[in-house]
Amino acid sequence: MTRSVPDQSLGPAWAILELLARGIVDDSERQMVRNLLLSETLDWGELLEQALRHKMLPMLAHHVISVGLRFDVPATIYQHLESTLEWNRLQIEVFRRETVRVAQALGAHGIHFVVTKGMTFESTLYGGLGTRHMNDIDFMIAPRDRDTVMSVMQALGYRPFFDWAKDARREEISSRLNRDHLPKLAREIDQPGTRKINIDIANSLTWTKSPFDVPVEEALANPVAQPVPGMPGVSLPCFRPTYQFLFTVLHLFREAWLQKFVDFGTDVGLMKFGDVLRLIDQNHDELTNGELLRIAEIHNVIHPVAWVLRHLDETFQTRTQKLFALEKYGDEELLASQMQSSAYVRASGQSMRERLQSKTRGAVRPAEPAHRGS
Amino acid sequence: MDDITTQFEECLRRHLRSAKPNPINYDVELVQLGLDSMTAVAVLLDMEKTFGIRFPDDMLVEGTFRTAGRLKEAVQKLREQQAS
Repeated sequence: MTRSVPDQSLGPAWAILELLARGIVDDSERQMVRNLLLSETLDWGELLEQALRHKMLPMLAHHVISVGLRFDVPATIYQHLESTLEWNRLQIEVFRRETVRVAQALGAHGIHFVVTKGMTFESTLYGGLGTRHMNDIDFMIAPRDRDTVMSVMQALGYRPFFDWAKDARREEISSRLNRDHLPKLAREIDQPGTRKINIDIANSLTWTKSPFDVPVEEALANPVAQPVPGMPGVSLPCFRPTYQFLFTVLHLFREAWLQKFVDFGTDVGLMKFGDVLRLIDQNHDELTNGELLRIAEIHNVIHPVAWVLRHLDETFQTRTQKLFALEKYGDEELLASQMQSSAYVRASGQSMRERLQSKTRGAVRPAEPAHRGS
Repeated sequence: MDDITTQFEECLRRHLRSAKPNPINYDVELVQLGLDSMTAVAVLLDMEKTFGIRFPDDMLVEGTFRTAGRLKEAVQKLREQQAS
């Protein structure tokens, strides 16, 4: 894939984060980031805030440290970045051990499952450097196993909790009615720096009664075994690349379109678009051999996939829509016509890039959904 | 108990676009008035706030709000339980 120089119209801080999100592949890009970090117009406050908002602070920390900017960055900021990276690595270690513990318990009960998102990406897409931020541990199971899995999790010390949401009661009702996930689960631990482990268990690649979905049972078939860094001989089941890609893209689509994620401030993020780019880079041949398109067509998810790729391309100046021959798909009006509920985000008139950079996303609520435009 | 019809219908109309201009038919499935699994959350939450009730877990199922009639019955039942 041809990699262009990022558009710097949104300032050096944003350009740095876009470069880091898509992954630094060679010395010229490393130098580009270095130059931006040393730019006189760089606003460190803005860079740190946006890195936090996009869960990229450990990634930024790793880069600042690895390119040797110790004496070029304000000392207190450098020290904070060092400890952020160290803490993230410790947390990943804790999460990794817990993922294995939960996986072994699920396996012992004959549950078909995969580990998803951050835990798998950290070692496959981010080189196991401890730079991928993660809030929780994610699993995917089949709907038929919901009750058994809940029992297993409770036996492991996990309890449902809802106070992560601004409106806990809303979330509680939602989790009862929308059975695409188990309620979020938490377990308190006695670990310095990490007092609680949160686990999110999905049983759908999208959401309840979504007009777009890929059957979970199909996606769970033939998982790949992913070695666990630092634990010789131990592996975790993960989606094979085609379904990993579909899930990642559809998950991004879900977070982009459901208003509740905007309200929580957890909708689209730069890092998640970066995950998609890295998946494509790493699994180019398998993702472009035709199977992905066939599955997307069979399950009517071709428009959501194309919509995400279009916004990915607009944000990162990539050409993934063309790569997958999806230029004629992903029309926003068409998607909006299939998602008329007030639960969906209405058009803001912003580009995805502007939306990503915006710090007031929840405030953008135009009056009429009929005015939705791309 | 007081007649809750006015408040109940106002509550529905706040969330269901198709219910806004017309009299509410209590026998029609709410999905035909624009209810989906996500707006259902908003409707139930609003009902709880409006009437000072709390739906127990076993009532947080689709059958509770299949029609306006079923939902109104559930709200009335919870109000009565709370009053007694």
